[in-house]
Amino acid sequence: MGKILILAAYAVYTAFWIRFFSHLLVWWRAARRSIESVSVAAPSSVKAYILTVMDVVFFGRLLMVNPALWLGEWIFHFSFFLVVLRHLRFFLNPVPPCIWWVQTPGLIAGYILPVSLVYILIVRLLFGRERYASPANVFLLGLVLVISSVGVAMQLLFKPNLVEVKLFVLGILSFMPAATPESVLFAVHFCLVLILIPFLPTHIFFAPFVMMEARKREQALRLVMHEK
Amino acid sequence: MKSKRSFTEELLSQQLLEIGACTQCGECLKHCPVQDVTGNPSVSPPEKIRMFREFIRATDGLKSRLFGSGDVDRKLLDNFTRAVYECTTCGACGQSCPVGIFTQRLWPVLRKEMVKRGLGPIGVQANMPKAIMDSGNPYDKSPTERYHPWFPGHVKIAERSEIAYYAGCTGAYEAQPMVRGDVLVLDAIGAPFTMLPPEEEVCCGFPLFITGQHDQLKDLVTGLVKGYEARGVKLLVCSCPCCVNIMTRDWPLFYGEPLPFKIRHITQYVSDAIRDGRLRLIKELREAVIYHDPCYLTRGVGVIEEPRTVLRSIPGLTLLEFEHHGLNSRCCGSGGAARKIFHENAIAIGRLTIDEAVAKKADRLILSCPACYAKVNEAMQGHKNQIRITDIMELVSTIIEGDR
Repeated sequence: MGKILILAAYAVYTAFWIRFFSHLLVWWRAARRSIESVSVAAPSSVKAYILTVMDVVFFGRLLMVNPALWLGEWIFHFSFFLVVLRHLRFFLNPVPPCIWWVQTPGLIAGYILPVSLVYILIVRLLFGRERYASPANVFLLGLVLVISSVGVAMQLLFKPNLVEVKLFVLGILSFMPAATPESVLFAVHFCLVLILIPFLPTHIFFAPFVMMEARKREQALRLVMHEK
Repeated sequence: MKSKRSFTEELLSQQLLEIGACTQCGECLKHCPVQDVTGNPSVSPPEKIRMFREFIRATDGLKSRLFGSGDVDRKLLDNFTRAVYECTTCGACGQSCPVGIFTQRLWPVLRKEMVKRGLGPIGVQANMPKAIMDSGNPYDKSPTERYHPWFPGHVKIAERSEIAYYAGCTGAYEAQPMVRGDVLVLDAIGAPFTMLPPEEEVCCGFPLFITGQHDQLKDLVTGLVKGYEARGVKLLVCSCPCCVNIMTRDWPLFYGEPLPFKIRHITQYVSDAIRDGRLRLIKELREAVIYHDPCYLTRGVGVIEEPRTVLRSIPGLTLLEFEHHGLNSRCCGSGGAARKIFHENAIAIGRLTIDEAVAKKADRLILSCPACYAKVNEAMQGHKNQIRITDIMELVSTIIEGDR
């Protein structure tokens, strides 16, 4: 079982980077081929950069169109970010001080994460105003909900041996696999994360660039038919 | 269906990022006019992007790189083609997009890809290139009828002038009170203006551009630009938002260099004239009017305030607003050449505009787009709610005529 998990981890890790570079290659080829046929150039401005940061960090555009969903999405993404930071203690040795600082916020975020996901699913699936739910999105949200719930169960009820967990993870990273922790919940948690990685949505990589261009375009709209 | 042609051929690198950036959240569906009347998510923006991602994967994905291009599901291609042509390209989805995808420019590019594959355009849209080639306009009407039925007899057109007026095909053939109003107002301002002869004032290219049929665009644009240049034009005035949009955003690209003249929407030119005192609106109009923003004028080129400035300059007039106005305006149903194929959608969307105008207790619905003018008038036929529909310059021209 341990060997299968380790092999699966390497396969997923490899697949992730192949997918990433495959996307990069497609984009690079399009970028080389496309004549940048934009007659109205979108100038960069400090305001555009500030607004982009607000969009990326605080989901400003979503707040404008759907505050109810924004609340759930922002809490979910921020919690997810803190949880990932908290988990870095298993991947780094020695653990940097900043990762130690984030342990308590990360722990709290771990409890909030599944709640925020349930809230998002309720807003998206049960509120009559929502007309569309992508099956891929619902699958991802459901998967993260199960992963985070298993994580909470491990924290509260069936704690695995964290030393074993860290040795296992570091073993994979250093290509010197160690024994799998003897925890069924950990194995489930780990397997589900391996399933999640190939399904990570591409918008994570692309959205910040598109948000930046959107803000620049908004600034430039006034220049299309109005002189300065 | 196997294809060696990449589905990214027509996309700008930024548009490829946009396709990857869609979170499939579905927020845009609440703002989509086609969704309002069809309630069919399979033709929605996120579904179009999802399908197009599958096409890109089939021709550009790792598997296709290693083992050759895979099959693209023909049914999916047909579904996508229908969805992308049923769209009015109003861009409301992009305006409400939490990521900020510029859909008003993305959909026409995806249509172009379908044209390159022989799948688009659909229906009578495919007749437009020949009609434009034969008669100079997508309606296949005679050039001799382009100005004659509506042009005011007393207005003189200069042979040469720094100011030119482009009537546009839809205005000239389908919304004649509108272009007649334009000319009357231009005449009242007093500055001499020129126009191309009717056989030379051909299609601006927008109907071809928006349906993805780009082959004739360079020739059309070059002919028009040279025509105005030969008349010494420094400022080209036009009232059609679609024409204005392609003139400012795309004509320089098809022409190959910056245009030798500026482009102005007529409301910009008239609001300047009112501000400078060259046009005085003295006659009172005690009415509550509601102004509908054309999608390609607001989200397309950012002309939002000037029409309101013109309307507020009319003494006694009360200006009402739609719930969604300015950058967030709702499509009237006539956009994207979809009205030619999906007539029922266009009529139903147009009736939503009429219903809101009536609900707001407006005396008159003011439009400033010939396509909106033609379609919303058509939508009102046989509809339970009725309202007087007037183009903005048609209204201003009646105020001016009253002054005389």
